[in-house]
Amino acid sequence: MDRVRFLMVADSRGHTAGYYAVSRALRDAGVEVVLGGFLPPAGIIEVAAQEDVDFIGYRIMDREPVSVVAPLMELLRENGMEHIRVIVGGIVPPSRTKTICDLGVEKIFRPGSRLEDIAAFVKGEAVVLPSEPAREDLGMPVRLGI
Amino acid sequence: MQNATSRDNLTGAVEWYENLVGTPVGQSRLTTYGAPLKPLYTPLDVPGFDYLANLGLPGAFPFTRGSTPTGYRGKEWTRRQVIGVGTAEETNERLRYLFAQGQTGFSVCGMGYAPYESSDPRAAGVLGRGGVWLDTLADMQTLLEGVDMASVTINQIGASLPVFAMILAEAERRGVPWAQLHGTIQNVVAPGGEGPAHRGNHALDVIEFCTRELPHWNHTSISARNIRDQGVSSVQEVAFAIFMGLYTARAACSRGLPIEAIAPRITFFFSAENELLEEVAKFRAARRIWARAMRDLGATSSRSQVMRFHVQTSALSLTMQQPLNNIIRGTVHALAAVLGGAQSLSVNSFDEVLAIPTEAAATLSLRTQQIIADETDVAAVNDPLGGAYAIEALTSQIEALALEEIARLEALPDRRAFEQISADANMAGYRRQLQVDRGERRVVGVNEHVLPEEVEEQVGLSASDVFEYDPAWREKQVARLETTKRERDPVAAEAAKVRLAGAYRARENLVEPVIAAVKAYLSIGEITSLLASLQGWDELKNRHCFYTNEFY
Repeated sequence: MDRVRFLMVADSRGHTAGYYAVSRALRDAGVEVVLGGFLPPAGIIEVAAQEDVDFIGYRIMDREPVSVVAPLMELLRENGMEHIRVIVGGIVPPSRTKTICDLGVEKIFRPGSRLEDIAAFVKGEAVVLPSEPAREDLGMPVRLGI
Repeated sequence: MQNATSRDNLTGAVEWYENLVGTPVGQSRLTTYGAPLKPLYTPLDVPGFDYLANLGLPGAFPFTRGSTPTGYRGKEWTRRQVIGVGTAEETNERLRYLFAQGQTGFSVCGMGYAPYESSDPRAAGVLGRGGVWLDTLADMQTLLEGVDMASVTINQIGASLPVFAMILAEAERRGVPWAQLHGTIQNVVAPGGEGPAHRGNHALDVIEFCTRELPHWNHTSISARNIRDQGVSSVQEVAFAIFMGLYTARAACSRGLPIEAIAPRITFFFSAENELLEEVAKFRAARRIWARAMRDLGATSSRSQVMRFHVQTSALSLTMQQPLNNIIRGTVHALAAVLGGAQSLSVNSFDEVLAIPTEAAATLSLRTQQIIADETDVAAVNDPLGGAYAIEALTSQIEALALEEIARLEALPDRRAFEQISADANMAGYRRQLQVDRGERRVVGVNEHVLPEEVEEQVGLSASDVFEYDPAWREKQVARLETTKRERDPVAAEAAKVRLAGAYRARENLVEPVIAAVKAYLSIGEITSLLASLQGWDELKNRHCFYTNEFY
């Protein structure tokens, strides 16, 4: 099975129901999930590089999304990490959808999205890694922050 | 309850009924804790029911029927909407508006959020969006302008020590004695600190200080609500709350505080979910468990045994789709809280799934409370659902299961038990979302009765007006912080830092040194980074439980 490496991060602590639900669903779908927790854009870049991920999932709740997504995308470019694909989830006002997508975010998963659909998107379109043997259930994904 | 013959007759009748209607397994609705909800409850579901032992009268042990004898006729629940928008100025404006509309309490969201200043790059995009931003005492003065601190009850969301200190410093400046203040700090003791007295555990510092100086301040508010909002069951919510309440009570006793002195000011913070019957039973079960647990801990006065709680309605059950539907959900949640005997209530606004509520949405939330209080009859009778077979059976079931869960947690080492609560909470949302995705949990507008967004808008079921973030708030706040720092007495500020550092190193109670620090106009960021520099940030949080929760 080909494994996608996915970094899950959030714009704040707390309100983590969706953050953990999506992380767990991706893991169950065979995605390698790293929980980055609450990180500012520079911190996300650092962890993404260390963990060599294919995807960043950014949970937005408390912040004006453009204010954190724009610097993240810029830092990815500056650091030559454009190959990392970014999806955003959570509270993104409809009025910001276009701006966020124009920044290079591939997809916004707002409340009401199905876990299966998120997993299919991540697995179907990510750059895949060589196969790894199936692993036993180790509980929740790796926990770095939050 | 009845003699043998009539019980046999009843058993026969119920058997006849169950054969008639049938309840194929899998078709019955489940409670949030997974037990099937029966289609009919009879006296057979409350075997050995002893009215006085299980229920008693309102305001009397075990307080199942309510915290006070007179219920809402004696004292209405506090209308305590959560407010927090922009800087102190915008929040004060919203606060005064809602007070004019009949709000009776005060709950400010975002107080002392972040351990850094507004000028820090990390503040970009968040300042004013997730709640009000505060840097220094000057902001608290603005926030409380026009608020009569002697008469209003103030609820601090989170337990930031600098923010608590600012409230007290501002009262002092206005000449309101601390002993006259009424309010609550969302404080709970977690494992941490040194020696048997947990020295350096700042949650305990708060309890110790309040017990001495603030007789009307609820020094503890166990926030089970935010755990529930991650998707755990009603049983888990009750069990986690009472486990943490008992942990807090025992820890306070370890500081030499008598149980009767601290117990009356331990309060709780619960959610109210869609399952109305289950929720009402939950509140009743929680009161009963707490009363018995406090009695077993040696508390003999009613004031120590009675559980009092605030409810903030569920956010997890609200939907972004057809957001106006959330008004109806909020009303059901609020009804559950009132039927369950809450002392204080905040109804989430329908548009909170999208942003901070608009003024109109916030008003509707307050009106929901007022209509329930003034136009319906539910507040006129104490515990009006008490005695219903279904409610009593559910109350006893939740009580029994919660007691089992509490026993499981208490068998674990302290830290492990708290980690277990987090782990359970973190998994709960996943299970709930799977139920929604599979259609096992029906959600109007999400997995049934779905409308395309255009149609939603066309028929007027969308939120036409969503609160917009204003980046100018940050510039304003940064300028304000600069002015405050320029105008403060640098010698006093330096002296306050030295005093705080000394108190921290000596593991003294930190409340007074922090009050002195905020009075010298040190910012929340300066205070917390000073302490972090002495100890290291993680150590500060884990070992000494310093509360500076970044965003809730």
